[in-house]
Amino acid sequence: MKTEEFIGKVKSGEVDIVEYIHKVIEECKKINDEYHYFNKISEELALKQAENIKKNPKGKLAGLPVSIKDCICVKGVETRAGSAILNGYKPEFNATAIEKIIKEGAIIIGKTSQDEFGFGSFSTNMGKGFQKPLNPFDKERCCGGSSGGCGGIVQKASFPHISLGESTGGSIVNPASFCGVYGLCPTYGRVSRYGLIDYGNSLDKIGPMAKDIKDIALMQKIISGFDKNESTSLNSPVDDYSAYIRKDVKGMKVGIIDFGIGESIDEPVRNKTLETIDKLNAKGVKAEKVSLPFSKKYGIPVYFLIAASEASTNLAKYCGMRYGASSELNGSSFNEYFTKVRSEYLGDEAKRRIILGTFARMAGQRDAYYIKAAQIRTKVIEEYKRLFKTYDALISPAINILPPKFDEIDKLSLLQAYTIDALTVSPNLAGLPHLSIPTGMVNKLPSGVMLTGDHLQEGKLIQLAAALRKE
Amino acid sequence: MTEKIYHFKTDVVIGLEIHIELATDSKLFCSCSTHAKPGEEDEPNTRTCPVCLGHPGSKPVLNKKAVDYALRLCLALGCRIAPELIFSRKSYFYPDMSKNYQITQYEIPLGEKGNIKLSDNTKIGLTRVHMEEDPAALVHPAGMANSSSVLVDYNRSGDPLCEVVTEPELTSPEQARDFMKQLINILRYLGIFDINRCIIKADANVSIRESNYQRVEMKNITGFKDIERALKYEIQRQKKTLKDGNVIRKETRAWNSQYGVTRSLRSKETEADYGYIIDPDLVPTEITKEWVDEIKENMPELPDEKVKKFMHDFKLSIDDAKVISADKDMAELFEKVVKDVDAVLAAKWIRRELVRCLNYVKKELCDVDIATKEMNSLLKLIESKKITETTGQKLMEKLVEGSFDVEKYVKKEGLEAVSDSGELEKLCDEAIVENEKAVAEYKEGNEKSFNFIVGAVMRKSKGKADPKVVREILIGKV
Repeated sequence: MKTEEFIGKVKSGEVDIVEYIHKVIEECKKINDEYHYFNKISEELALKQAENIKKNPKGKLAGLPVSIKDCICVKGVETRAGSAILNGYKPEFNATAIEKIIKEGAIIIGKTSQDEFGFGSFSTNMGKGFQKPLNPFDKERCCGGSSGGCGGIVQKASFPHISLGESTGGSIVNPASFCGVYGLCPTYGRVSRYGLIDYGNSLDKIGPMAKDIKDIALMQKIISGFDKNESTSLNSPVDDYSAYIRKDVKGMKVGIIDFGIGESIDEPVRNKTLETIDKLNAKGVKAEKVSLPFSKKYGIPVYFLIAASEASTNLAKYCGMRYGASSELNGSSFNEYFTKVRSEYLGDEAKRRIILGTFARMAGQRDAYYIKAAQIRTKVIEEYKRLFKTYDALISPAINILPPKFDEIDKLSLLQAYTIDALTVSPNLAGLPHLSIPTGMVNKLPSGVMLTGDHLQEGKLIQLAAALRKE
Repeated sequence: MTEKIYHFKTDVVIGLEIHIELATDSKLFCSCSTHAKPGEEDEPNTRTCPVCLGHPGSKPVLNKKAVDYALRLCLALGCRIAPELIFSRKSYFYPDMSKNYQITQYEIPLGEKGNIKLSDNTKIGLTRVHMEEDPAALVHPAGMANSSSVLVDYNRSGDPLCEVVTEPELTSPEQARDFMKQLINILRYLGIFDINRCIIKADANVSIRESNYQRVEMKNITGFKDIERALKYEIQRQKKTLKDGNVIRKETRAWNSQYGVTRSLRSKETEADYGYIIDPDLVPTEITKEWVDEIKENMPELPDEKVKKFMHDFKLSIDDAKVISADKDMAELFEKVVKDVDAVLAAKWIRRELVRCLNYVKKELCDVDIATKEMNSLLKLIESKKITETTGQKLMEKLVEGSFDVEKYVKKEGLEAVSDSGELEKLCDEAIVENEKAVAEYKEGNEKSFNFIVGAVMRKSKGKADPKVVREILIGKV
């Protein structure tokens, strides 16, 4: 059943939403036992919301089951950003995006699994005691990351469903691609970050993941907008994204990012990308090769320096004193105590990024790393901005490979693992909207392409994605 | 930021870093109140929210009012204003820090290169004025030394602060005290500091010639009286240390006001590394010309302007004008009483007698409770000569101890000046008869004896007679 149809039936009373949500929760539990897509299934909240919707079936999302990446605060529901250091933490408030979807009648079914604090590309850097989400098409393979649980449940759910993911360096388009669903990472500041547990504040964005581009448009409109509680949220009018679904794409211009179809890209991924370009051509879209030499060369180091520098300050607050995990005091000094809690409850990758980020902003290194990275970041933005004077969107794969097996991931060096983000970090650094579009199965595995647009041009990405659907 | 090289010449070199709590109603980055409701107890951890508690996902939003206040201060101190207000994260772990980083300013402070004029007209240069948030308060239930645990009260967490950093140009504890006094006065004139609830704290760097100016930092000195005490103590300690053959180490010491001593907190062999980054949760705020102009237009009168006004409008001497303007409360009191009383008389009495009485009880005008109405009555009684100056002085002393109804008191105690010449002549005659010896001595040329007779008359009048008039009558009689 399509989302639109489902919401209509909830409103007409044709679907008994309380019964329905009972079934949804049962299904989620069953899927979760096998695939680990949830860190927490919010059964109690979902049923309470369903009761309310039954009495008062209102809103653009009336009765729609929505899952939420664990790093987005939901009032009263254990929210851990995938980290054991937040064990037991139940936020006192809803993230602004959550407030907005609740107001439209969404039903929150749970918090999805992710790399700890978003530190990863495969959902394999799990917090202590968390299980890896398994790819919906092959349980030996990963879901991508860091919004892996979102991608998995969106693909696997038999019920109408949208998930809210979060991206810092590609964490929406990557799992969307590996799980064969749509994922939109909007312009930085388009969706309020209030209530989003920070990874890299200048990079973090909340965005929708769904099986249907219409659902992406619907959800993106609802969660967008200025928020007086969040200084970096944008105060510009919100587009009606759904209106782009039926817009003709004839005459639009798309730039093909050269290294996105180059040698470093696995052949099936490259072929699928070229196939997609052909389909766009057939619809009257002009496509030509473009290059982003600066982004290609510096994207990865600049991203990791900035994201880790910010993360290392963000994670300082987790020290076992005010919320989340704690430990015995045993007469230790506060420094010893903080060290004990952080050593015990933070995972290896979190520790690595804290150390990396702290190093990059230390007095002796600051100019060479943190400051320089910030300067290069503006160059990356300029490089993209020049291209958007000519092109409506840029196209490339989101990732150079199909979903890898866990044992293949284990063999990757740290640098290899970090460079998996080569195609996604630059649009994230530049705060540009980017959308992953499923392009069908290759070797029984899902594939996808990524469109990147100019700031606030989410509409054009949705327009192109809609044109690519099967007739 | 690299350290400047200084070439010091004076015996003592002092630099101050002063933290001023701004008197806004809400905190710097959230809408929590900065103070308890009037008449209500300030229960710990009640004025808090996810932002000032540093809860995951919460985000700061800048309080523009606090920026208005900080801009007012920067302008009053003659600072160069930055084009943008940019906040940074200063990272260090401490239990009073809700996020384990403090939102403060680093590379580009709001104001740079201002100055403050001391009462002897020396100008003390200011390096910078910047904004930051206050950490929470640590509460030791049984005192610092005897508590087995520490409690944290987040009511203060996120209060808006301005930090004023001086050049190392102060040369004595007395100068440092005067500096603080001038600064507090400016803050109060600006209406950005509430002396009843806002905290002003200083960290002081002090070094002496004998140690080749090895710098020692003292933390946590509250108020201008303590700054003098603390610096005096520390200078003596440094001198004694050297005399005893020991060396002064670069270190940070805590001032304990209760015991009047400083104690070592940590040696500063290496500078702390706070790993500053720009706070990515706060967009830079442009300080537009229009904004600054608006602040300038609405600037309250400053002490210097007050001096000029007092000299021009009330024909006060520069000296009187300065002394009265140097205390905002005193200037306000003066402005109120001159509506009914001659300005020069009012200036003289406030500047000399009121100041004398305050000095005697070691208090500031803001510490004592004098109703303007009563000061007015007192000065009017003096102006109309209904009481003598001697009586006036005594009443002023009493006023400083606590306000009372001056007119009623004068009537009740019968303190009106004896101006009836018949009555006075009678008292003089009596005195002459009773002090024959003194009269005789005076006639032989002993001036002191004459004063003795005047004193006798004054005693008889219980101080209510005008000594000038008494002298005139006595000269005629003896």
